[in-house]
Amino acid sequence: MLIDIQNLYKIYNEGQESEVRALDGVSLQIDRGEFVAIVGASGSGKSTMMNVLGCLDVPTRGRYNLNGTDVTSLKDKDLARIRNREIGFIFQGYNLLQDLNALDNVILPLIYRGTSIFEREELAMAALARVGMDGRAHHRPSQMSGGQQQRVAIARAIATHPPIIMADEPTGALDSKTGRHVLSILQQLYREGTTILLITHDDGIAATAPRVVRLSDGKIISDAHQEVDWL
Amino acid sequence: MNLMQAFKMAFKSIASKKMRSFLTMLGIIIGVASVVIMVSVVQGMNKLSLQYLEAQGENKIQVYAYQYYGSSGNISDLLYEYCLGMQDLVLGVTPQVEVWQDITIKYGAKTFNTQNWDDWSKRLTIKLGSDQFGVCNNYTLGGGRELSFLDVEKTNQVCVLGGGAKEILFDFVDPVGETIFINSQPFLVVGWYEATGLEGMSDMDNVVLLPYTFNRTLNNNQDINDYVVKARSATDTTLAIARLKAFLGGFITPGENGYYNVYSNNDWSNQVQEQSLMQSLVLGAIAGISLLVGGIGIMNIMLVTVTERTREIGIRKAIGAERKSIIVQFLIEAAVICGIGGLIGILLGCMGALIAGKFLLQGMILWPSSVITVGAFTFSVVLGVLFGLYPAIKASSLQPVDALRAE
Ligand SMILES: Nc1ncnc2c1ncn2[C@@H]1O[C@H](COP(=O)(O)OP(=O)(O)O)[C@@H](O)[C@H]1O
Ligand SMILES: [Mg+2]
Repeated sequence: MLIDIQNLYKIYNEGQESEVRALDGVSLQIDRGEFVAIVGASGSGKSTMMNVLGCLDVPTRGRYNLNGTDVTSLKDKDLARIRNREIGFIFQGYNLLQDLNALDNVILPLIYRGTSIFEREELAMAALARVGMDGRAHHRPSQMSGGQQQRVAIARAIATHPPIIMADEPTGALDSKTGRHVLSILQQLYREGTTILLITHDDGIAATAPRVVRLSDGKIISDAHQEVDWL
Repeated sequence: MNLMQAFKMAFKSIASKKMRSFLTMLGIIIGVASVVIMVSVVQGMNKLSLQYLEAQGENKIQVYAYQYYGSSGNISDLLYEYCLGMQDLVLGVTPQVEVWQDITIKYGAKTFNTQNWDDWSKRLTIKLGSDQFGVCNNYTLGGGRELSFLDVEKTNQVCVLGGGAKEILFDFVDPVGETIFINSQPFLVVGWYEATGLEGMSDMDNVVLLPYTFNRTLNNNQDINDYVVKARSATDTTLAIARLKAFLGGFITPGENGYYNVYSNNDWSNQVQEQSLMQSLVLGAIAGISLLVGGIGIMNIMLVTVTERTREIGIRKAIGAERKSIIVQFLIEAAVICGIGGLIGILLGCMGALIAGKFLLQGMILWPSSVITVGAFTFSVVLGVLFGLYPAIKASSLQPVDALRAE
């Protein structure tokens, strides 16, 4: 089991008037090599779920094992290592460093990984080439369209070849054609064995995922496998 | 991530945010440079005053006594006699009078008027004194001889030139034995004094000294009111001043039948030291203010970017940066920006000090005090580093998602 959460809670302002149970006792298992879409209305807790699963946030209560390790007990150094090597993130708002060009943005996780200086650029260029952005390596984010920025962000996520990709509404800010392109990159990564966690509020996009977990008010209301046309 | 990479990351970050880096540096440059310049100028001013004092020599007492017209007795002569009588205390005594009417001085084709103020550094003045004028005013004889007792007694038409006057009249030729014309009267140059070597000392250097007995012809035979007494030591100076005051007090009630004043440049030297203390205090305040202004500039620019930097830290953490490497990167970044800014500030400060010395302090070469320079540098750099580190320390302990959410 790659991801194993049991009875996980993320509660904001617990005990107060304004208490929000973003995750309300969730249990979920995901195997290595799965493609899972997490769907639900806005505010249902999808992003919270991804952030907790991606070690970008800590749960209020509950157990989370990643690869057999209890991550709730890990220190900053080990969490940083997981975020760097195990998981690649793709955000709705890209989250590129505006002052660095595409290449430097993609090189960043390789630096934190400790990749030798002689390999970094080559690996980063390869990642950019995978998303068709090698021609824009020296452009800054502000000189690129949203779709291009998201592709650079994907290149950054895959630069260290992490076994898991987590994408939070990666197509949310893109037009449908660019969105489909981004999805096809994720599907290609899945075919190569990467575990994909795709968060979306769009049922159309959810329909392309072999497994769909549906959230509502911080609870899982359905979890189903389905046939998809691209496999 | 090792230190080398942290350095590279920091340099990359500095280079990619040129405007911000520049503005931060500017605060430090302004702070450091202005402190360096101001401190140098004030120290230069003090040094100049002290050099001036030194050139005048120690234990020099200036005596001034004046009686209203019609008062009985001739204080001028009595005073001179009394001064000469203090043999146990003094090395020399001289009347010291500057001739204020316009006198023409000629040598060869060159003509000078003592009241021509067009170029004050080239203006010649005529002073009247005794054979002890040189001793009293700390002159060093460069060639020839001093005025002699006989020159004074017989009102000989001889003169001694100050170093400046010698150069103005004779360039670098030896003037001894030459004749100059003062109001068309021939005067034999019998000697000359070394120049003080200080700019701004033209009243001491550009002097043509004649026996004081020319007072009659050149100064409308007014009484001589000014004398200079050179005492043997600081203690003797104090003693001599006390005696002179007692003596003059016996004749003159200030404001009623005249005035008198007795003071030494030892007093002046104390004053300069007091004044330099005052200046240092004022300076400290000004230096503090300019550092503060620079510091606020640094703080401002650092704090304005906290949100942006917090998001940046969120992104860096999300892709695998450890807390430690973020702090190290920010530390290096701030230290490098502030260090470079500080060095530029010192450089500009030194240049500014040299320029200020050239134009304000007669070409004096000003070297900034190293304590103040290092102090200003350290203060700015520490401030810059503290405020540069602030977002890193604050945001790197946040959950990445909270840092990413910063607005
Ligand atoms: N930092 C926070 N503080 C308080 N409430 C929050 C915070 N983050 C998210 N929430 C709340 O938690 C719930 C789930 O949010 P989120 O996971 O972002 O939903 P989704 O991604 O499905 O739209 C929402 O009601 C949201 O308002
Ligand atoms: Mg969301």
